[in-house]
Order: sequence, then structure tokens, then C-alpha cells
Amino acid sequence: MGALEIINFYLVPGIVIGSIYALGAVGITLVFAILRYAHLAHGDLATLGAFLALGAVTLGGVSPYVALPVAMVLTAAAAVMIDKAFYAYLRERPKIVTVMASLGVALMVRAVVQVVWGVDSETYTRGIVRPDVWFGIRIRDRELITILAMIGLVLALHVFLQQSKWGKAMRAMSDNPDLALLSGVDNKKVVMLTWIIVGGLCAAAGVFLGLNYELKAMMGWTMLLPMFAAAILGGVGRVEGAVLGGLIVGIAEEMSTLFLPTEYKAATAFAILLLMLLVRPTGLLKGKVL
Amino acid sequence: MEWIGLANYAVFMAIFICIYALLSLGLNIQWGFTGLFNAGIAGFFAVGAYTSAILTSPAVEGRIGGFDLPVPVGWIGAMLAAALIAWPIGKICLRFRSDYLAIATIGVAEIIRLVIKSEDWLTNSARGITDIPRPFGDLPYVYSQLAYLAIVAGVLLVAYLMVERQIAAPWGRMMRAIRDNEDAARAMGKDVPFRRLEAFIFGSALMGLGGALFAHFNRTITPEAIDPMIATFLVWIMLILGGSGNNRGAILGVAVVWIIWSMSEIVTDQLPHEYAVKAKYMRVFLIGLMLQLVLRFRPEGLLPEPQGTREEVSEKSK
Amino acid sequence: MNKFRTALAATLLGATAMAAPAQADVKIGLLGGVSGPIAAMAPAMIDSARLAVQQVNDNGGILDGEQLVAVIGDSACNPQNGTDAATKAVNIENVIGIVGPHCSGAVLAATNSVTIPAGVTVITPSGTSPEISGLNDNDTVFRTVPSDDFQGRALARTLLLRGTAKVAVAYLNNDYGKGLAEAFRSEFEGNGGEIAGFAAHEGEKASYRSNLAELASGGADTLVIFDYGDGSGLTMLRQALENGFFTNFVGGDGMKSDAPIKELGAENLTTFLSSAPVGEKSDSLEMFSKAFADVGGDPSAIFATTSYDAAFMLALAIEKAGGDKAKVSAALREISNGEGEPIRAGEWAKAKELIAAGTAIDYKGAAGDHNFDDKGDVPGTYALFKVSGDGFEVVSEIQ
Repeated sequence: MGALEIINFYLVPGIVIGSIYALGAVGITLVFAILRYAHLAHGDLATLGAFLALGAVTLGGVSPYVALPVAMVLTAAAAVMIDKAFYAYLRERPKIVTVMASLGVALMVRAVVQVVWGVDSETYTRGIVRPDVWFGIRIRDRELITILAMIGLVLALHVFLQQSKWGKAMRAMSDNPDLALLSGVDNKKVVMLTWIIVGGLCAAAGVFLGLNYELKAMMGWTMLLPMFAAAILGGVGRVEGAVLGGLIVGIAEEMSTLFLPTEYKAATAFAILLLMLLVRPTGLLKGKVL
Repeated sequence: MEWIGLANYAVFMAIFICIYALLSLGLNIQWGFTGLFNAGIAGFFAVGAYTSAILTSPAVEGRIGGFDLPVPVGWIGAMLAAALIAWPIGKICLRFRSDYLAIATIGVAEIIRLVIKSEDWLTNSARGITDIPRPFGDLPYVYSQLAYLAIVAGVLLVAYLMVERQIAAPWGRMMRAIRDNEDAARAMGKDVPFRRLEAFIFGSALMGLGGALFAHFNRTITPEAIDPMIATFLVWIMLILGGSGNNRGAILGVAVVWIIWSMSEIVTDQLPHEYAVKAKYMRVFLIGLMLQLVLRFRPEGLLPEPQGTREEVSEKSK
Repeated sequence: MNKFRTALAATLLGATAMAAPAQADVKIGLLGGVSGPIAAMAPAMIDSARLAVQQVNDNGGILDGEQLVAVIGDSACNPQNGTDAATKAVNIENVIGIVGPHCSGAVLAATNSVTIPAGVTVITPSGTSPEISGLNDNDTVFRTVPSDDFQGRALARTLLLRGTAKVAVAYLNNDYGKGLAEAFRSEFEGNGGEIAGFAAHEGEKASYRSNLAELASGGADTLVIFDYGDGSGLTMLRQALENGFFTNFVGGDGMKSDAPIKELGAENLTTFLSSAPVGEKSDSLEMFSKAFADVGGDPSAIFATTSYDAAFMLALAIEKAGGDKAKVSAALREISNGEGEPIRAGEWAKAKELIAAGTAIDYKGAAGDHNFDDKGDVPGTYALFKVSGDGFEVVSEIQ
């Protein structure tokens, strides 16, 4: 098997699905770092984002790329509302209670999607898109856009966290909440800002998943475990780590078919994760031990 | 007639509640008393169910077993197999702290699920194992249901009493000490890793037993039964809702969640006929909403963990 | 525990008192995986079964003009919810028979622990596991979906006859996909064909390109997919088409779904064939399709025909048995044993008259003739379909 085949049929698909995992994992890692719990409704929030974009595409007749920012804003708003309605009053309680609440939210969000949009497989645009060939590398335009958009969004987030006042406040909350509160960081605003960012990232993950493959009511839930694996793999609380983790999980899944029976593809993410935890229990980039 | 039907349904639910109560009790030992975030309940449930199925079902060509052994042997085998699987996992993973342990156990459970789903020689893969004997299964419907209820309720009672005894004993105090302040417990000379491993294995064995009881109740076990939603996350909701750290809370949580699960259908069935399919999605919404309501008003669980041990409480009251 | 149980019984009692049904109705249960992994397939299956119920009620009702009522339960495609829904249907709703559950795991659990001991007749429209044939069921468990074994073998022989001697096979890793794939392989290889790739895949993943690349590396230009056309089968088909891994595609009945046409476009599916069960020399399928389309359903939805047939036959059997629960399973064999006046899909009024007159009837369904063998299975007749316009069109019968 030639190198080009490996790149075209194993590496490129791995990077594309890895980019989508990365978008989800960044959100998960942010919630871990700042709010300190595992957010199990993350996948279903991504489903909601994807279907909101579908709503914009079918009602407004716009292209999915135009629908993306719309879906990001709407999903961010939904995330903030969910936080206000179901998580806010549990903030002082043990974190496990909020984890359970997020599981309940996952069920509710999925039910809303199923009632509003039904349960059939959907696509943004009918038909198939054959890949373009660039120097032997086969890639579809939407795949290129997915990868570039992921890099762009993560870079923007990085700059925001490093440079802006609120980004610094978020980092302070993540490093040492007590100290941050003492030095006058507004907890409520940081939480809200976190949910806006997380909601937007969820929607992006969902839209790109729908754009490259199909939209299904269960699509987010089935992505949840690999996304969590990616976040932990990269090191909890590390944005760059989540990107790295997502790409590794995506590429490993696609590459695994070279060595393993294909029915074990889904196990690859976890096998890598377990190995990594044995060698580096804090994740690839040193994550914090929460 | 209505009465008998309702009573039959209540018996069925009671059996399910007893089976899931074993899972919830096992998790309570791990999380409630020891603070171990085991998110791989489905894996131990599956190992128990399949072990007992292989041991007690009649021989079949093309896969390992069935050894046609008596049912109690299967149940003991289920506990041993779950404990045996738990041992290396605990040995390796318990040094990770909570969230890492959670994802590691989810990973192990998913790998177990894929193996069960794919390996013909071991589990008959996706088709599952059938012809698992059910004790008193030859009696007429109502009697066989009642007999099975008596068995599972008896098993649950024994498990409950054993766990209660252990928890009230010095062992239980030590476990809570480890959970609440690991460093202090270590400073007092407790072998923390060993004790946690002990709790992990004990809890997992109970989950394995729950799996075995489930397989024998249905006379069959298929990979659909070990989906993480229905066999892991659901048990977590039950424990947290009921009150982690309290065994009676753990059992009550199971009952409440199954009642919510069941009652929600009766509510959504009131919708007009043309919405009959959508009503099932509304039902899932309602289940999520009711969980939120319980968490809203009883975030510490329906029966919270008693503060202080019994001895301390009785001393204070003197 | 006792306290909880009493409380439980009390609450349940209170709740059903609100929902007290009219006693004159005759109830059947429609159990299906409405939530859970086959959520996309379940609604069409439930709706087509409800069409049968509606036809019964529109044409004189059941027994003495009573209404046939369908009680819908969510078996969620797992044994836990499957047994719960079946217990509810049998004990609280007092159904006379059940259509469903949809997934084999739920069928096995629900029949073993609920319906067989309670003596309620069950017809599953989609549980394809061979384990269902072997149930010790006192002749109360039937299915209208033919066994995978038969379809897999018929498809293999047909492909060889059409001159396709080398294929790759991709199948969904569940009882449906595995059963078809293994039957196909043994027949295809036994008759001199070459399998140049044979791999299972997990459903609901987003990317299957590496799976397809592995399968294509065997050199076959025909891909046989045993999966669901509105689930991962659609994703596979799309990625195989987009990347040009294969030129010809063949699916089992699960792939004969509207979803690929709707999402990929008929113009891209000119080399796509799929087998599906059909009625033998009867226009039952057309009659069903028209009636189902009239109520807004999609007649080519997966297992819609088998679900419809299951519900219609259950109604015929109840009529024949005079509403006696214990006689339904025997009556089910009588109304469709190949002898008697033929009844096609939807001909309820005619069937009712004949049953009242004591004439033997023989149901010819939309998905086959459904003459049950001694295990409650149907042999099934298949045809090969191709995409034409916005639907499917028969290419040839297959044996």
C-alpha cells in the first residue's frame, strides 16, 4: 500500500474527524477547568447546534457556512439558559450532583430535537461531493474548511484567553478559584462567558459533523465518549491538549483498521487513553489533577 | 381484573428494582463510602451476566460452554469473575484520581462491550446467549414471577445486611476516613491503596451478581442490555438521587427512578393518538425534567448520608 | 422495601384510574424501539401497523363492531425497556396480542420473561436473530420478517447468476447484519464466488473511510452492505460513492430505504441494487403502498411492510379466535396457511365476512405470503430492486 493511499484513506479522514472531536473536547476541557465537572450534555448540545443550523438552512435558504454563526449564537444562548435553569443552584453542592443534572439535560435536549426535527437522517445539502485532488492528496472542500475552521476557532480562543481581561479572569478561575474570587473576579460573569464559549464550540462541532457526514438525533450522544477520551488524553484543562487529544483519537480510530478487526475501531480511543494514563497520569500536556 | 394486572406489574417492577438495587449498592460501596468514581458499571454487569450464562446454559456448538451447571454456581461464578476483572483494573486505575478513574473505567467497560459483541467463540457475539435457566421458571406466570421476586429480594436483603454490617464496623469508618481525608488516613498508618482496592472489588462483585440475576430473569442476555446509558449512567442517577453514602437511600433511589421511568409513560400516553410516537420522546423529556426537580429540591439525595456514625450519635444523645 | 412496594402499587393504581379505558375495546400492543438506537426506523414501523388498525376500524371494526385499539410501548431496543413495555402491555393494558418488539434482544427478553409464560401471542416484524426460531414458546412467537439466512443465500445466488463473482462485504455488527453476512458468505463461496473483503463495523460512527479502504484493497468492485439505509449504511454508501472505492453496490432489505435517495440523490445511485421481501404474485404490496402513502407514510421505509402485515394478521387472528387470547396463536396459523380464499392487504371487510361464514381464508401480505413454518418463521420471497425516479423498482425476482 502506497504512502498516498495511507494519507488519503486513513490520515485525512482521521484528521477531519479528529478536528471535530477536538472542537468538542476543547469545550469539555473548559468546563472541566473552570466549572470542575464532567458535562454529559455536551454531545447533545452539539446535536442541538447542528439541527439549529439545519433550521437556518431550510427556513432561510442560506448555506451551512452562513448558518454556522447563527447556530453558534443560538446554542450559546441555550447553554447559558440551561446553566441558569439547571446547574446554577447546584454550584455549591458536590460536583457529582451537577454531573447527574447534565445527564438529565442531555435527555431533555435530545427529546426536544426529536420532537422538533424528527428522527430521520438529514443533510444540509442533497447529493454527494467528490473530493478534489491536490498533488495526489484527495480532500473535499468542506473537509479543508472543517480543519481550517477548527484551527481558527482554537487560535481565537487562545488569543482571547491569553490577551483579554475576561480571558485572564477565566484562566485565574481555572488555576485557583479562591484566589481569583478574592482578587475581585466576578464569578457569575466568568461562568456565563464559559457557557457562551462552550455553547458556540458545541454548535461548531455539531455543524461540521453534520456537514461532513449526516445529521441524526443521536449523533452527539455517540460522539460523547470519544470526545471525553480526547479531553482527558490531552490533559484536563489544557486547550492545546484537547486539540492534540482530538486529533490523536481521530487519527488512531481510522488507522486502527490497518491492524485491528474493524469492529474494534471504537475501542481504539480508549486503548490509547488507558496506555497513556499508565505512562503519564496527567495527560499528554500536564493537566491539572482536579 | 385490573387489580391482578397491576399487582403483576408491581411484582415485575419489584424484581427489576431488586436487581438494580444490587448495582446501586455496589456503586455505593465504591462511590458513597470510598469515593471511587466507577463509570464502568456496565462492564461488571456484563461480565457477571455472561459468566453466569455460560456456566449454567446447556452446551452449544461454536462457543465456549454452556456447562449446564446449577444456577447458584453461576451466580457465585458471576461474582468471582467480576471481582477477578475488577482486581487488575483497580490495581492499575485506582491511583488515578476521580475523573481519570471515571474515564478509565468507561474505557474498560466499552472494550468489554465490544469484545462481547464481536467474539463468537466466547459470547455468541451480537446474537447473545439464550436458554439460560430461570429458577422456578416452569411454574405458571404469576407464581414464577413471585418465586423469582422472593429469590432476588432475599439476595438483596443478604447483600444489604452484609454491606450495612461492614459499614458500621471499624472497616466502614476507616473507608470514610480515607474518602474524606486521604492524607490523614495514610498518616494514621492505613494502607490506603489496598483498602480502596478492597472496596472496588467488593462493589464490582455485587454488580456482577446483579448482572447474573438479570440474565436469569430474562433467560437470555444480549449485548443490547449492556449499553452504557441503561447499565451505567442510569445506576449513577439512582444512587445520587437516593442519597450516596446511605444504603437505604441507594435502594430508594432505584425505586424512585423506575417509578419515574414508568409513570412518565402513563402521563405522556394521555396525549392525543396522532402524537403517540412523539409522546415517547416527550416521555424522555419528562424523565430528564423530573430528575432535575428531584436534584433541585433534594440535592443531597432523598435519604442523605447520616452525619457521624451510629456510635457517635448515640454518645451525643447520652 | 415493603413500604416502597405498597406505595408503588398505590401510585400505579391511582395513575391508571385516570386512564381507565372503555371496556369494549379490543387492545393489541405495538412495542417498538421508539427511543434508542433505531429511533429513526421505529416511527414508520409503528405508523404502518397503526394503518392496519385504522383499516380494521374503518371497515366494520373487530368482533361485534368493537374498536381495535393499538397501545404503543417504547421497548427502546434493549431488554430492560423491552420487558417493561411488554409487562405493562400484558398486565395493565390487557392486550390480546403484541406486534413487536423491534430489536432481537428486546424480543428474546420480552418473550422469555413475559409473553410466553403469560400466553400472549407475539409477532415481531423485525427481530431477525436465529435465536428467536429456537425459543421454547408454546407456539406463541412468530415473525413476519423472513430469517436472515434465507435472504443472504438468495442474494448470493442471484449475484452469481448476474455474473458478479467477486465482492467485498461490509456488515453492521449486530444480529441483523451478522446473520445476513454469514449466510451470504457461505452460499457465495460455496457456489464459486470470491469474497475479497469481509468486515463488521460498529453503527453510528461518523467516518468509515478507512473501513472502506480496507475492503477495497481486496480488489472487488462490488460492495455488499448489510446495514440500515437510514443509519450507518447511508454513511457508508455516501463515503464509498464519494471516494470511488467501489462502482457497484448491493444491499439487503435494510438498505432499501428512502433515505439514500433523499440524501444522496437518485442520480448517484444508478449502480445500487437491494433485495427486499415481496408478496408472491399478488398486488398486496401496491395496495398497501397506496394506502400508506395516502396517510402520509413512506411505503418503502424499512420493515414498514412486515409491521403492517404483522398487525393485520394479528387482527385477523383475533377475529378468527373470537377474541379469545388463548386461541389467537392457533388462529394465526389458520388465517395464513396457503389454503383458502386469498385476502390481500387492507381487505378487512371481505375477510370479516368470510370468517363469519366459516370460510377458510389465506392472507397474502405486502411483504410475502407469511405461511408460518413450525418455528413460527416465514420463508419469504424476495425481489431485487433498483433506484428509479424517487423510489425503487423491481429488477427481478430472486430465488
